[in-house]
Amino acid sequence: MSSRLRQVLHINLSEKESRIDERPELFDTYLGGAGVASKLLEEECAPRVDPFSPEAPVIFAVGPFTGLLPSMVKTVAMFKSPLTGNLGESHCGGHFATALRFAGFGAVVVKGAADIPSVVLIEDTDVRVEAAASLWGLSPLQVEKSLRSPSQEGMESVASIGIAGENGVYYSGLITDRYHHFGRLGLGAVIGAKKLKAMKIHGTGEIPLERPTEFKDFYEEIHRRVVQTEEMRKYHDLGTPINVMMLNELGALPTKNFSQPKFERAEEISGERFLETLLERKISCPGCPVACIHLGGLRTSFSPQHELGRKEAFEELDLVPYNYEPVFALGSNLEIGDAQSVLRLIGKCERVGMDAIMTGSVLAWLTEAVEKGLIPRQEIGDLEPRWGDAATYSKIIENIALAKNQFYKRLALGTSAAAEKYGGKDFAVSIGKNSPAGYATGYGFVVGTLVGARHSHLSNMGYSIDQKAVKSNLSFEQIVEKIADEEDWLYVYYSLIGCYFARGVYDEETIAKALDLIGLTKTGKDLRDLGNEIFQRLYRFKVREGFNLAREEIPKRMSEIETPYGKLDPNRLREMVQHYIRIRQRQGLPLRRDDEALAELLSPTAER
Amino acid sequence: MRFHIEVEHPERCIGCYSCLYACSRHLYNTVDPTRVAVFVRVNKSLENPFNVIACRFCAQPECALVCPQGALEALPEGGVTLTPSKCAGCKNFDCIEACQLGALVLDRRTRVPVICDRCGDCAKFCPHDVFRYEEMKT
Repeated sequence: MSSRLRQVLHINLSEKESRIDERPELFDTYLGGAGVASKLLEEECAPRVDPFSPEAPVIFAVGPFTGLLPSMVKTVAMFKSPLTGNLGESHCGGHFATALRFAGFGAVVVKGAADIPSVVLIEDTDVRVEAAASLWGLSPLQVEKSLRSPSQEGMESVASIGIAGENGVYYSGLITDRYHHFGRLGLGAVIGAKKLKAMKIHGTGEIPLERPTEFKDFYEEIHRRVVQTEEMRKYHDLGTPINVMMLNELGALPTKNFSQPKFERAEEISGERFLETLLERKISCPGCPVACIHLGGLRTSFSPQHELGRKEAFEELDLVPYNYEPVFALGSNLEIGDAQSVLRLIGKCERVGMDAIMTGSVLAWLTEAVEKGLIPRQEIGDLEPRWGDAATYSKIIENIALAKNQFYKRLALGTSAAAEKYGGKDFAVSIGKNSPAGYATGYGFVVGTLVGARHSHLSNMGYSIDQKAVKSNLSFEQIVEKIADEEDWLYVYYSLIGCYFARGVYDEETIAKALDLIGLTKTGKDLRDLGNEIFQRLYRFKVREGFNLAREEIPKRMSEIETPYGKLDPNRLREMVQHYIRIRQRQGLPLRRDDEALAELLSPTAER
Repeated sequence: MRFHIEVEHPERCIGCYSCLYACSRHLYNTVDPTRVAVFVRVNKSLENPFNVIACRFCAQPECALVCPQGALEALPEGGVTLTPSKCAGCKNFDCIEACQLGALVLDRRTRVPVICDRCGDCAKFCPHDVFRYEEMKT
């Protein structure tokens, strides 16, 4: 086995066939992760393909340091998103990346569709598609327990969809190894449309070290920085829910459907409160010593006849992973000021396999729409959502996951689509058709989420640029320029593909040194050019699929909430997007409707 | 430098596999989760605590007792030493079966068991104090 990535596994579910392509140049040029996935997406995804058609590809890619260096633990998935009708990109931790790499693969392309519920079983280079009706309808946890093999050799991962994915919820995810998620943009529904319930990957290969002595010293230095310095401490200690109080004090914690920047009960859903009252365990991804995955314990009593004795002995314990985004989305944004209720809603999303951020966004919009009388009474039935009413929200989540009737099927399309049907677009908090993360930090966050290729706060760190901008008086042009630079650079990092939390440890120099140790020579400039190239490839895909940045609307609600800048001026937001378009156009990226190149791309005859 | 190493608190394991990666780097200049002398085992689901297993340096090691070739020999300080030339050609691998703890695996590439050489790297790279270890006085 080589120390560098070289193989792409292609699986065709319709034919139950697979083949392995040797592509060393693909990995040497684009590293892995987002870089390799973007290239495979370009090769494999036909223009304007229906995300639910057998032709729609799902691509997974790991990176050159997967299994080799600390915190290089994630897998990138790319696909056509049902939610946005455009680029789907989602990143996941857990055992998936290492299992795939030790099986010998740098990337997997899944196409076609099975005729009955099926699983993909990858045992090193032995790849099978098998019938699995017995797993259909089960939760990802039950699937994991069924598929994980007693053999303990090598690395193993189980990824599965829940009932939300089976039923085509546009924001359902693929859950891996119980606690990790390809959560965003609807990969679960795409996999569900292929009748694929789960994938099990078992890898027993190796990655030989080319320059072992140097490599071991280098590893030790990175390990030391990750474990012993302050660089990643917050992720281990309080975890990301540290943000609840930090943002609340800053006046940037989105509350009640992004109508307020502070939550009066923030303390009760703070990272500190979770730590004191609910935390049971912390776990890591293989290869990362940080243990950022915080598991909270949900205790439910058995039926009364079993309750003689100590109460705790007669409770089932369900461990639910929590971090900041679900806590904001299902907590402050729904005015739920009680950590245990928030954890129960997160647990509900886990069991059905639904993205917690978009679920929270839909519920928040729905609550406001019902208050404003936009939803016909007969559609709501007796499940009337009210701010803070976790029990009702939980039942609504279940009904969405089950696609119970026409009303819940509409909610299953996401916030924008639901508002298209019922009205209330002004307060449908959706940017680029995705639900934004929990940062009412201002211009950088809104513009960054809109212009980001996958409309994520992790696309370009706009929320973090805001916090610096307020302190150091960055001009609005400078904020936009930083957003563009950050996104290019992060596409280098997402090609490696490291955990976002460790981005500070892997600076340009460290990455160049690491690449050198596996025989790849790249200068800082090479890397930055590569990041820009990957970004441009993804944006060309977006434009081809109909994305038009100049015509994207920012919901009015984003200008109604107080932020650390005050209320955001809609004209300024537009100017910032225009400035961004100019920056990208200077780099040769066609982004405007009046561009000739774009017009050509959009004409239906030019496609095939 | 050699260490006495003991898996003292397996329940503290966070599943980072730093021990296991360190072990194969040290023994074979590779990263190979199948060629290691320390194991992180998942019990059906990640919701269950991990189990960490490593050689306990037994006084009367069962692996050596069953070795028909005399390739595995008990050491006075506990544990075993392997003479690969004597091991080569044995296809029984009774030693692997014999270890009741499950702390011995076969290196599938060289067809001999993987023996801990007490380097202590597993313990040094553990961020959560699963291991107790101390330098051995010779």
